[in-house]
Amino acid sequence: MDRRTFIRTVSGGTAGIALAGCLTQDDDENGNGNGDENGNGNGEDDENGNGNDNGNETDNGDEEEQEDEPDLEGTLRVATYTSMVDDEEAAGTWLKDAFEEEYPDATIDWTVPEEGTSHYIQQANQGVDIDADVFLGLNVDDLVLIDDNTDESLFRSVDRDRLEHVDRIRDDPSVEFDDPHDRVLPYDTGYISLVYDENEVDDPETFDALTDEEYEGTLITQNAQQSDPGQAFLLWTIDAYGEDGYLDYWEELLDNDVRIIDDWSSAYSAYENEERPMVVSYSTDQVYTNRFDGDMSRSQIGFLEEQGYANPEGMAIFEDSEQVDLANAFLDFVLSNEAQAEIAVRNVQFPAVADEYVDLDEDYAEYAHEPPEAVSLTYDELSGNLDEWVDDWGQLVASR
Amino acid sequence: MTDLTLEGVSKLYEETAALREVDLSVADGEFFTLVGPSGCGKTTTLRTIAGFEEPTSGSVRFDGEEMTGVPPEDRDVGVVFQNYALFPHMTVAENVGYGLRFRDPPAGTSRKERVSELLELVDLAGMGERQPSQLSGGQQQRVSLARALAPEPSLLLLDEPMSALDARLRETLRRQVKRIQSELEITTVYVTHDQAEALAISDRVAVMHAGNVEQVGTPKEIYRRPATRFVAEFVGDNNVFEGEVLERSGDEIRVRISSSEFVLPDSSGVGDAGTGLESGDRLTFCIRPEALTPTAETNRFPVTVETSEFLGESVRVHGRWNDTPIVLRLEEPPATEELTVGFAPNGAHVVEFDVDFDAEFE
Amino acid sequence: MTTGPLGSGSPRGRGRGYDWLERHALQLTALLTAAVLGVMLYLPVGVVFAEALFLDGRLSLAHFREVLTDPFYFGVLASVFADPLAVGSHYASLVDWILAGFPSFRMGLFGFTAYQAALSTVASLALGLPAAYILANYEFRGRRTIRSLTILPFVLPGIMVAVGFYAMFGQAGTLNTILGVVGLGPFRFIERNPLAIVIVAHAFYNAPLIARITVAAWESVDVRALETARSLGASPRRAFADVVVPQLLPAITTGALLTFIFTFMTFPIVLALGGLQLATVEVWVYARIQRLDFAEAATLAILETIVSLALTYAYLRYESAQAGMSRAATPPPRERLFPDLRTVLEPRRLAIVGYGVVALVVFVGPMASMVIGSVTDGSGFTLRHYEFLVQRQAEGATYQTLPWPAIRNSLLFGVATLFVAMPMGVVISVLTTRSGRGRDQSGRWATVIDTLAMLPLAVSGIVFGIGLLRGLVFGIPLVGGWRLQVTGVVAIVAAHAVAAYPFVTRNVSPLLADLDPSLVESARSLGASRYRALLDVELPLVASGIVAGAAFAFAISIGEFSSTVILASGGDTYTMPVAVERYLGRRNGPAIAMGTVLLVITGLSFVVVDRVGGRFERD
Repeated sequence: MDRRTFIRTVSGGTAGIALAGCLTQDDDENGNGNGDENGNGNGEDDENGNGNDNGNETDNGDEEEQEDEPDLEGTLRVATYTSMVDDEEAAGTWLKDAFEEEYPDATIDWTVPEEGTSHYIQQANQGVDIDADVFLGLNVDDLVLIDDNTDESLFRSVDRDRLEHVDRIRDDPSVEFDDPHDRVLPYDTGYISLVYDENEVDDPETFDALTDEEYEGTLITQNAQQSDPGQAFLLWTIDAYGEDGYLDYWEELLDNDVRIIDDWSSAYSAYENEERPMVVSYSTDQVYTNRFDGDMSRSQIGFLEEQGYANPEGMAIFEDSEQVDLANAFLDFVLSNEAQAEIAVRNVQFPAVADEYVDLDEDYAEYAHEPPEAVSLTYDELSGNLDEWVDDWGQLVASR
Repeated sequence: MTDLTLEGVSKLYEETAALREVDLSVADGEFFTLVGPSGCGKTTTLRTIAGFEEPTSGSVRFDGEEMTGVPPEDRDVGVVFQNYALFPHMTVAENVGYGLRFRDPPAGTSRKERVSELLELVDLAGMGERQPSQLSGGQQQRVSLARALAPEPSLLLLDEPMSALDARLRETLRRQVKRIQSELEITTVYVTHDQAEALAISDRVAVMHAGNVEQVGTPKEIYRRPATRFVAEFVGDNNVFEGEVLERSGDEIRVRISSSEFVLPDSSGVGDAGTGLESGDRLTFCIRPEALTPTAETNRFPVTVETSEFLGESVRVHGRWNDTPIVLRLEEPPATEELTVGFAPNGAHVVEFDVDFDAEFE
Repeated sequence: MTTGPLGSGSPRGRGRGYDWLERHALQLTALLTAAVLGVMLYLPVGVVFAEALFLDGRLSLAHFREVLTDPFYFGVLASVFADPLAVGSHYASLVDWILAGFPSFRMGLFGFTAYQAALSTVASLALGLPAAYILANYEFRGRRTIRSLTILPFVLPGIMVAVGFYAMFGQAGTLNTILGVVGLGPFRFIERNPLAIVIVAHAFYNAPLIARITVAAWESVDVRALETARSLGASPRRAFADVVVPQLLPAITTGALLTFIFTFMTFPIVLALGGLQLATVEVWVYARIQRLDFAEAATLAILETIVSLALTYAYLRYESAQAGMSRAATPPPRERLFPDLRTVLEPRRLAIVGYGVVALVVFVGPMASMVIGSVTDGSGFTLRHYEFLVQRQAEGATYQTLPWPAIRNSLLFGVATLFVAMPMGVVISVLTTRSGRGRDQSGRWATVIDTLAMLPLAVSGIVFGIGLLRGLVFGIPLVGGWRLQVTGVVAIVAAHAVAAYPFVTRNVSPLLADLDPSLVESARSLGASRYRALLDVELPLVASGIVAGAAFAFAISIGEFSSTVILASGGDTYTMPVAVERYLGRRNGPAIAMGTVLLVITGLSFVVVDRVGGRFERD
């Protein structure tokens, strides 16, 4: 393993041009890795590859032997999204400090790939070393994107036996990933809902109402092609009207002058400047309104059909991580009582564990609303369909 | 000092030839002029010598040394352009001194001394601190000349240096250039479209036309004995006639034009090549206006006067004989619209003859 | 007068190596430029573009056929592309369309993209040219500063422009607040016509670009020609049309071309202000990349590039036909804007005041509203967003994005970019204008090279970004199992320089082409190498173009986002726009505060760049 560490050090250098060997033996289990791409013809490569393979196997053996005494030293590279580490009260800061306190020999290295999971899909497809151990912040559609676009197995299945807190996870569709390979554990969840200005409009309450004249020109949503809440809202309508009916519904929405702005920030900016009295957003909006001394009457939450579309966030361990023990410890730590409370409050989301395993502030419950019913499309429903649904929708909108 | 040789120099742009197999040689210290109408290739020739253009084929040699591929900065030539090309962001002194940044001034002279020496040479002493834009055209051109001469080039190239100046200034500056050139004894190639200027200033002249050198010679040779019809018409005023050889006898050739007959001396420009000339062949000859007089007794023909220009010491008269334009040089303006003139046989100079000359001219 | 041809005056004594270096400086710069372009542009773009050309591992045009014949992309033209030989039926449907009185037709994504780009170009010209006129012809306090600040909008991240526009033009925005004071409104500026507001936003970005380029040209107008025209009896208006306009036209056309290309490739602004109904091709490129459908993304991007390069080529042919002889720049003297109170009421001055109000609303308004947004929250005035920045700087962890390193990196990269992009841009100008002007047959080839040199502007930014990631960050596989990786500071500066040098070239080329070639020839015959002649003679004479180009290079570097964030790959080499994006959370306050910092820092830098650069200008 020294060799791989060495390679990583070299290629991790940021000064100008770094040359790195590409003997990435990505797949210990599958063994089909990237040898096809890199190893052809070059005897030396093959030799090294084999050597590495052996090394890995020995390593795996070690892991099994040492199950009672896991290796909890070293650096854990955790990939995540920006706000996890850069928000005002970033959950990542607390997680790193608390985890490192708990495991003094371990260090967490945050990495924030600009392209999210697609960064790793491309690395896998190009036979490049995956430069992370854990991904924190997966959605169901990320799994679909991964499985639709790479034959490589990017994440390993959850090793439930080794996770103490895994059974605390709520038995609830709002945190369900339905992954056939069981790769992801949820760590929090949120609900897409409407946020509206009660001085201007009443809660529409149903999807159909949004197409009524009363709500003409009142709604802002986001582009499902590039925005998470936008995509969630689209999927919500697919859940409500079915694969065959959602485009008709959107025709009516468009006739009723819905605005589809690219991302959440711009859309919310438009809402804040009173362009329109309704925006697709998160059901925790009032937490921020409270924090920033905003006007509560402009931060009303509307759960259409008494539902909210659940967007659970999950974490998974990369297939060829060499810090599996530490990674498991991290996953387990994230599900611990204290961490669940902190993450929920800092991310302004809802915990993934059942209520008895987390102590939340009263205050928090007052402003963070949960819908009576959580809906979401499962992995199976999305798989193979998501691209087409979003694309058909996009073409419908852009052709008008 | 330096002599200059061009051998078989051709230059092609896309499909068209700007120079065709040009051969020239300029002697050490000679004032050599390339003259011709615009587009004749004279400027291209000069630019090829300076190294601004590489010839498509052929060779340019300075003192026998091949210059092809040598960049302009290594050729040690001074160039003066028509539009002066002074560096507008530098003072006059900085302009003149620019070449001395790359080549040392003559031994024992500082750069500064050299600059004032040159400014003195072109009668601009004390103007060093001025901006070029504060100078008149003639002054600017003299700065340009001083700048070109400052690093003591072995070759001075002047590309129509006078054509942006008015007539009187041109004459003054022309004399100044000539004076400086003979003082420094620097080999000089001068390009102009003005044949009078060429004749006035040069040791030797090359007349160019359509990428070819038509004739090389002293001004006197060029004027008196033009080698081709083009040279005859281009250099100075001239009357060109074309006729059919009737008879060649003894030292005379009889030529018929329309219904008139003329007698020319056999020796006049036909030379050895003319030995094959016989009756029925076409022949072109020319007569300078000053050789065409009302008082001449031979070869007389009538001229219809069209315009006359008073030149001071003489009058230039434009007229017509049949379809042929005629130019005369008289002492007094003609009193009548019709007058008869003639020329002595040895006043004519044959420039072209062609055994199969077709009726192209008519 | 006694030495041989090569002897007289030996080159002044510097080392042999130095001589060699100086003699080959231009070629070396050209080679280095080519190398940088190869690694930082052609390679990454090629990696992605190649995806469009292969189907199942075989060279194929199937992707193009699919896109070209899809009415979603090409509207009514799709049927023409589908069956190009059926001229008869196409002709018949054209006639039908004309007979029906030109009803609206399906433009398709490409058609609409070109349509909004054309409108945006017209709007940018309408807003930019008056500014150029005023800045070039009138003297008033702060003229130079305003001229320096004209490129400020150029560096603003798209999201900040969107936020600024909502804060300015929204129903609860600054403009409606001001109008409310005098009892007007509120007006639904954005809702009423989203396309119009997108076009205004495009003008916000590009009108300053047109103004800056045009002012530079205006300041090198030869006033003597104007005086000659007047003395020949031309009215002031006539003299202006006959003398000034032709001298400005190349600059104006350059600005219009750049604007068209930029807005043809527009991405964040359209969606942020206009919504998906106004989607452009680039939106679809992005969507395809998100879904990892590189083949279709690359196909769309190539078609975008073809359109942009074709326009560029057409323009450059025009530009080279315009190139004339040197004109000693004696710009017209500037009038005082308001010599006394009475003149304010002159129609011309009133028009200027009117334009000033429009400029205030369109350019200053969004930026000012952004600044206001940085000091307000739900309950009014607050400094909490700036407190956040200070606190983050003081207490932030190393893996977090800190304000000071972002500022420092931005300035550092900006200056480095300036110094890399200038020689790159100038060397391309020299190579293309010199041979383009000469009588050699390379004229057309020079235009082709010049066109290709504009590639950074003509390539989809999204494709470029993904190419950098796949090509340079992940590494290019080499023989022997090695990978070539290019990341970090050097790579970021190189990428910025690649994006910036076209601005240097476009600002310098027209001026360089206008110089009398005999200036360089004189210098060379006096012993200067080509490089020295460039340094001593040409560059000082085109200083106004160089300074304008430098300002743009700096601006491009400061504003650049996508390649920076990809090449920074985890290190602490982030810049101000990256920090803005990373501070975006569930409320925009912290990001807006950082955006304001970016605005102020860049504003100050431009003033400095222009002041320093101004010393080299002759005005």
